[in-house]
Formats: sequence, structure tokens, C-alpha cells
Amino acid sequence: MPRRDDIHSVLIIGAGPIIIGQACEFDYSGTQACKALKEEGYRVVLVNSNPATIMTDPEFADRTYIEPVTPEAVEKIIIRELAELKKIGTDGKLVLLPTLGGQTGLNTAMELFRTGVLEKHGVEMIGAKADAIERGEDRERFKELMLEIGLDVPVSGIAHNMDDAWAIADRIGKFPLIIRPAYTLGGTGGGIAYNRDEYEELTKKGINLSPVNEILVEESLIGWKEYEMEVMRDKADNCVIICSIENFDPMGVHTGDSITVAPIQTLTDKEYQIMRDASFAIIRAVGVETGGSNIQFSVNPDNGRMIVIEMNPRVSRSSALASKATGFPIAKIAAKLAVGYTLDEIPNDITRETPASFEPTIDYVVTKIPRFAFEKFQQADPTLNTQMKSVGEAMAIGRTFKESLQKCLRSMEIGRAGLGGDGKGWRVGDTVYGDRDILPRDLITQKLTTPNAERVFYLRHALRAGLTVDEIFELSKIDRWFLTQIQQIVDCEEELASVGASA
Amino acid sequence: MDLELLEKAKAYGFSDRQIAHLTGRTEDEVRAERKAAGVVPAYRLVDTCAAEFEAYTPYYYSTYDRGDDEIDASDRKKVMILGGGPNRIGQGIEFDYCCVHAAFALKEDGFETLMVNSNPETVSTDYDTSDKLFFEPLTLEDVLHIYEREKCWGAIAQFGGQTPLNLALGLQANGVNILGTSPQSIERAEDREMFAAMLHKLDIPQPPNGLATNEEEAVTEAQKLGYPVLVRPSFVLGGRAMQIVYSDNELRHYMQHAVEASPERPVLVDKFLEDATEVDVDCIADAKDGTIVVGGMLEHVEFAGVHSGDAAMVLPPHNLSQAAIDTMREYTHAMAKELEVTGLMNVQYAVKDEIVYVLEVNPRASRTIPFVSKAIGKPLAKLAAQVMAGAKLSELGFTEEIWPTYWAVKESVFPFNKFIGQDIILSPEMRSTGEVMGLDPDLGVAYAKSQMAASSPLPLEGKVFISVSDTHKDAVPTLARDFVDLGFELVATGGTANAIEEAGLVVERVNKLAEGRPNSLDLLKNNELQLVINTPSGEVPRADEVQIRTTAVYTGTPIMTTISSAKAAVNGIRAIKKAGYGVQTVQEYH
Repeated sequence: MPRRDDIHSVLIIGAGPIIIGQACEFDYSGTQACKALKEEGYRVVLVNSNPATIMTDPEFADRTYIEPVTPEAVEKIIIRELAELKKIGTDGKLVLLPTLGGQTGLNTAMELFRTGVLEKHGVEMIGAKADAIERGEDRERFKELMLEIGLDVPVSGIAHNMDDAWAIADRIGKFPLIIRPAYTLGGTGGGIAYNRDEYEELTKKGINLSPVNEILVEESLIGWKEYEMEVMRDKADNCVIICSIENFDPMGVHTGDSITVAPIQTLTDKEYQIMRDASFAIIRAVGVETGGSNIQFSVNPDNGRMIVIEMNPRVSRSSALASKATGFPIAKIAAKLAVGYTLDEIPNDITRETPASFEPTIDYVVTKIPRFAFEKFQQADPTLNTQMKSVGEAMAIGRTFKESLQKCLRSMEIGRAGLGGDGKGWRVGDTVYGDRDILPRDLITQKLTTPNAERVFYLRHALRAGLTVDEIFELSKIDRWFLTQIQQIVDCEEELASVGASA
Repeated sequence: MDLELLEKAKAYGFSDRQIAHLTGRTEDEVRAERKAAGVVPAYRLVDTCAAEFEAYTPYYYSTYDRGDDEIDASDRKKVMILGGGPNRIGQGIEFDYCCVHAAFALKEDGFETLMVNSNPETVSTDYDTSDKLFFEPLTLEDVLHIYEREKCWGAIAQFGGQTPLNLALGLQANGVNILGTSPQSIERAEDREMFAAMLHKLDIPQPPNGLATNEEEAVTEAQKLGYPVLVRPSFVLGGRAMQIVYSDNELRHYMQHAVEASPERPVLVDKFLEDATEVDVDCIADAKDGTIVVGGMLEHVEFAGVHSGDAAMVLPPHNLSQAAIDTMREYTHAMAKELEVTGLMNVQYAVKDEIVYVLEVNPRASRTIPFVSKAIGKPLAKLAAQVMAGAKLSELGFTEEIWPTYWAVKESVFPFNKFIGQDIILSPEMRSTGEVMGLDPDLGVAYAKSQMAASSPLPLEGKVFISVSDTHKDAVPTLARDFVDLGFELVATGGTANAIEEAGLVVERVNKLAEGRPNSLDLLKNNELQLVINTPSGEVPRADEVQIRTTAVYTGTPIMTTISSAKAAVNGIRAIKKAGYGVQTVQEYH
């Protein structure tokens, strides 16, 4: 199917300022989309308030609005651009591409949809339709949909009082339980209850803090393995997996704060195929017509039970990582799919002879490690949880996980040249340990059980202090395969050190 | 050293530095030994197809799983551009923007461009930004391999922020041709003693200052200068551990807990200029043909003491005298000339009582380059890259300053909602993650737009809660009257309420936290307040004011923590109430 000729201009909504959870990956995806759409001969209209982006350079769009990314300002832009179209004398349409500007872009577009602004001005949304976005974004609707198509979701319930809450707890039948108050900013007032006392306390507090006196109680998946799939679909219903990603840190840590590895390392091919099939079923059920989505899964390490966590029906932070990890330009292809092409019609720039409907295959291992800035926020809690706290990330590529992990660790700009053994000390509060000192057991245990920015280094400390892979697994729930790899790095460090000692 | 072990260690990702420390050698020795044994990495392609088809996009990574090197040989003149690595506070997208511009410019000028970076979020690591992309760590070892392997002609280290800058001297010592301003000039601007000597020579004032290598020296120095003083470690970006201290006790605490001072890494102690206006000046210079052009002057909205990465800024300056502007231009030219700058340079000035002081000079791309470029409509980073690679600024057609007839306001965006409990008062330590720009022919509207874009839109009606420290009480009557004139109701506690009443205005008194309920926090939580103006009471903030500020963040209520930003808010509200706002493209502005 060829490109749509009824479109004259495409309005792209950017992500606005860099905030935690929404960084320059949306400049990357937006810039690609601008280039791709211009290449197709469309007039590109862009709104983004962030002057530090490449996409807001005057060459990338035909009409660049450095204006606030708010429904009000975007409506003003729509009115102005429609007048421009009239002036030019074209009957081509102005359409809105909402899926490239992160959550900010999507929320702004959805607000314009819900308030009837898009309808009033006759502006169509391309890429993903509003109802699909709602099905993907609304937690309750998404859960129901997953159950309808036979996939598993965390057991949960909604409570408005203590009686409801006890009934849900009985139904789930097992602590810990996750309490999420409805409509509070940044998940404030939520938490994890490990026993009935904590549950009662958190439930009361949560109901109190929620403006609608409502909480969501969910079964805890803490310690489960976490995975992500980057999926693309076109309007002819072709689906491809661009990249599979495994979180090194188990559930309980936001994916943005987890060390992640591509491709998935610890699933059998059968398990992977089940997840791949599920991904296609999800993108179809949600109805993302064209473009990319990110789907998160969780797997119980004890019995293999697979649960669908959530989906982002848009280009996400993981899409940027997946693009860099595979070489497949997700945002560019998403933009082309949105204007009518199908995956088999778009050539892969890299190989020139394969189309975009070929699933990328990678013969190396990619590691991404988040970069934190807790030293700047000393009054705040430095442990990692379900709210993202990292401010950036580095990625590295190697032929093995060991090579890519150590390359990534020396990319972090934290003064380290790898996992350890580089001569730099370890600061814990006011104490500084030597690089090769054996750290106290209780410190190691604490750092392994409570997720934190330095946990990966404590895996080394733990192994050097004599903990076994099984003991470390029990404390951290990090898959034994990863721990074995780290064991090999540590063993190699000891071999090198013995050369040093005998020299 | 055993070759098999060396090969294994490299294949396991060990860096030369790790191997050096573990085996009791120096990094240089390991490198030499390794290269002599032929243990160097191979470069492989990221090609979407596991090498099944030929790849046409040169996107590489290194590996010690050797053999099968896939680098496409070419004999074009190659320039390497060093990126900024992972984003962190103080080093963000601005530097990636500069690196991308360098790649575009040099590609256009016929060079083969090689990008080296490790940040997957960026445009610089898009495979079609440069001719070749190396997704690699930014360390001496990894960068040298690529430079030598590709036989580059030169490297640009001044665009990617502190990360590549830290490598510049080491690279140069290993034979790398660092393009543009020399690493020696950069060092001269960073090294306090050399810098002071240069300013002395040029007869340019700086705030009185000294150096300390330990706690006692710091106290002696501070007493000599007189409190308050600004203390910070040398060689950092983003104001890490930078602080204004008001007493011996505070200083001792800082020296014991915040920094590790040593003779190699001394702590800088500067006299702090209270209530001075800070200005960032970005310029582009070409030592080859002697052209120096100021790209933009950005006047900070907040007074001195707020990190320039966190401050709101206005381009062009709106409060400064022509004399001060002329002086800054003159100093900027003199320093660019003295440092033989070829490329970009950023200077931070403080203006107090019409005296212009130099706070800092950075002869490299700064955080404000993209903002200035967009405000004036000239791609400064691109021009600078061309100048660094040999083009003459005079021939590139940028020889005159551009003073826009409209206003560009920069506002910073902070992650405080992710770090509940953290006080939000701005300080010399940078904590913002991003920035927005407000553009408009009217200054008030431009400011208001910047606040909308930063998700903190100025309210047009409702209640303003004012609670300021004693030192700011003088500013209260005017500020309160302005809000009343704009149709707002006033809410205040204790002393501030007295000041408002004394000015003859009506104010709703509310309890301080210790005075009983309902108190100001209750009003905030119930969304009864539309704007909060709260300035810190002194060196150690009181617990209740911190609670007010953090609650404002958590309830999403706009809050101003300085009198100058409160005044800017008044102007913004007034402008929007008068005529609303329009939108316009940058293509139309320029």
C-alpha cells in the first residue's frame, strides 16, 4: 500500500523538557520521524518547548514551534496551521502523529481528543487511534482485555474501605501485597505490605491520601523475572519483534532503573516463543494499528508462570534502546507505517536488500546500565523501587555478557573502569574501603536485598566475601545465569591478582 | 604476562586500568605489552541480521572475540567527535546537540566523521548522524584504539562536556591531534592560579579568592576573605559539591563530609557576591583570523548563588546597563584572544554595583549553546566545528552580533517530585534535568510561556500564599500590591501578614505549622492556594518552610523561591491577563 496522498502536513508533538523518565530518547525518535516524513514529501509541523533538542533545529521540520507542549498551545498551533493550509490553497489534510513525544506528547494529544478539539478542527490522529491508546493506557481496561485473550495478569482488586481490602487480601491469599492509591502524584502513599499489620496501616493511609478514597491492591511480583518486547505492527497486520530485553534486576525495580540486557538470556526458546506469540496477540487486541509498542512481562522463576505487566502503545524509552541495540530505526519505520506503508514495503537501510518485515537478529550482547544522581538529592531515599529515579544511561556491546557488562560499567562516568579491581576505593557513608578489601557481610547482605544504584558491584563483593551463587540468588533474586557470569569475571580478577602478587 | 590470561581478561571485558592495578603495572605498560603481543580489539558491525547480509551503515562495536574485523577502510580525512557518555545532571542533551552539529558540519565540509559515544538515548548515536558510529566507552583506552585504527586526522573533545575534556590531555600525550582550542588553554582557564594570573594580566576583576588543600587552610582562607564564601572542588561540571557557606562551622562540616581535598585536587574558596546579577556569555572565536563574536548574553533571573544550569535566564539582558554589557563584551574578547580560542567559549559574569566580575571561563561548548543558537537563529556549534577544522569564521559569514527584537526565556525543570522530602531551594549545586524555552515579542509573555512549558503555569486568579524571610520583608508591600492589582487574594502567616497589613492591604491570616490547624499545609493540600512565594529564611532552612516547599511540589502548586522570580511571575501574569498569548514558528522569528 502506498503512502497516503490525502495528507499534506503532519503535526508531531515533542516531549518537552528532559525529566526523569523522559529523556533525550524522544529527541532521537522525533528527529528520525521528522526526517522520514520530510523524505516522503510531507510538510512537517513540530511543537516542542525544549531548545536543546536537535529536532527543534530549523532544518528538521518545515514549521517549528518552540512553544509549550500543552493542549491550549497545541490548539492554537492547529488553528494557525489550518489557516496556512487554506492560504496555500491545498485540500491536503493536517494530521497529528501523537506517538513519538513520550507520555507528554501522548497525553497532550489525548487531551485534545477528549475535549473534542481534534474533531472540531477535523484533525485525524495517525499511528495509533485514540481508543487503542486508551485500551493500552487504562490499567483496568488493559487487564480485562488481557484476561479476554487468555493471558495472565496480576491478581488485584479495588478497595474503598478496610472491609473491601480484607476481602481482596483473602482472595489473593498471599503476602506481600502492593497498595497503590488512585490519582496520587508519583504513586505517593503506596507501598508494599509484608504482613497484616502493615497492610492495615498502608491501606488506611492510601485510602486517606487518595482524592477519590480508592486503592488498588495487587499481588506482589517482587523477585520475579522481568522482560520487555519491542513489537511493531502495520495496517496489513504484519507483526515483528524488533528486540527482546531482559531485566537483570528482578521485578520491584522500575525498568528505567534496571540493568537490562538484549537479547533475552535466560529463557528457553519455547518460553521465548510463547512470549513472542503473546506480544502479537496483545498488540492486535489493543488495536495499535501501525507503529511500535513496548510490552512488559514477568515470569515466576519457581514455576514459569507468565504475567503481562503493561504496554506502552507508543515509541518509548525502550524503543530507543532497542533501536540502538539492533540497528533497526523504530521511530523512522513507525513514522512511515503511520502514513500508509506496510513493513514489507520499507527497505532496511542497513542491508538494503531486506525489508523492514525481517525480524532483526543479533549476534552480540547489549547491556544498558542506568546512571543515578543521588549525590544531588541527599535528603531523598536512595533505594530503587517502582518509581524511576535514574537520570541517564549508558549502553555497551560485546560478544559476551561479561564483555558488554564491563564495557558498560566503564562507560558510566562514575570513576570506575569495570566491575572492580581498578584501584578505586568503595565509599560507604564516611568509610572508604580499599578496592580489593573484603566488605562486611551485613553490609553486603543489605545491599543485595534492597535494590540500590551500586548493587551490581556488591555482587562482586559478595562473591569475593565467599557467598555462593545460590546464597546471592536468595538475597537478590537475580538470575543464577547472570550471577555465574559475574562469578567468572571475579575468578578472572583473582587470576590477574595472583599474577600481580607473584610479580 | 601470560598471553592466554591477558586474552581471556580482555575477552571478559577487563580494561587496561583494571589489569594494570591487579598485576602491578601502569596502564601505559599494559597497553604497550598488549599491543606488542598483538592483542587489540576487532570491530564488528551492528547490522540487524547477524552478518547474514552485507551491511551498508557503518555502526561498530569493539570486541576481543577477535578476527572478522569489519571496518570499512577509507583514505578520507577523518575527524573523530567525542560524545558525552550517559546523561547526568550537569551533562545532558545540550552536549549531544553540539556533537551532532559537529558531525553535520564536518560531513558537509567533506571530512569523514567518526562519532564515539556510549549513550543510547541520543541523536549522536543514530547511525546516520555521522559517517561512522562507534558505540564505545569514552575512556582513553577505547578511544585511542579507534583513533589509531582509523588513522584519524584529528579529534574534537570540546563539544561533549566534561567527559571528553577529561580525556583531552591524555589523548594529546598519545599523539592525538586535538582540534580547536588547545587543551593547554582549557587547562589555563580551569587552573585557578593560572587563571588568576591571566585575569591579572588582562586587568579583569574576579571575586577575591583562594585555594585550600585541607580544612585548616580553608578556614584561614575564608576568614581572610570574609563570609559568605563559595566553596567547590576543582574540575567539576554541574556544580558538584559546590556550596555557599556562612560560618566556620559550616565550612568545617563541608570540608569533612562533602569533598576530598588534596594538594593535587584543592578546594576553591571564593568570596560570594550577594545580590549580584549573573550573566552567561557565549562566544565563538577564530584565533586564525582574529574574529571573535559574542553569540548571546543571558541574564539570570535569580541572583548570584544559583547554578547557571538551574537559573532562569533572559536573552537579551533586560536589566543591565549598556556600560555593563559593553564591559562584558570587552572582557570576553580579551580573554578569547588571550586563550587563543578556536571554537566556543562560555564566560560567567557577576555584576554588582556596576562592577563586572569574571566568575568562570570555559573555552569549550557550554550548556547554553543550543539555547543561544535557537534564540539568535545561528547554529553556533556547527560554525565552531567548521572553524576548528580549519574554516575561517570571517568566511563563514558570522562576524556581527545578533540582538533579537523578541525575548527568549530559559527555565529549568527539576526532578523534585521524584525525590519527595528533598528541599527545592536552588543552590550552586545543579539539580535540574532539563530546560524549556519561552519565545515571544513580549518579555512577560515569554516568561509565562516558559512556566507553562515547565509544567508550572502561572495562575491568572485565586490565592497567593506569601511567606518570606526577614531579609526579604522590604519587598513584600510592592509584590503584594501587584498581586492585589492583578485580582489575587493574599494569604500569609505571621510576619509576612504584618508586613502586608502595614502596607494597607487585606490579607487572610493562616496558622504556621506550630500554631494549630488549619495551617498553610492544609490549604496547599486542599488546592486552595494557586501560587506560593516562599523564600528561605537563612543558612539553615526551618523544617516548616521545607515542608511547605515540598508539599507545593507534591500538590503541583507553582512555587517561587526567590523575590526576583516572584517579580517575573507578576510581569508574566500581567502580560497574559492583558492580551493572552499567540504562537509563532522559529522560522518566522529568524
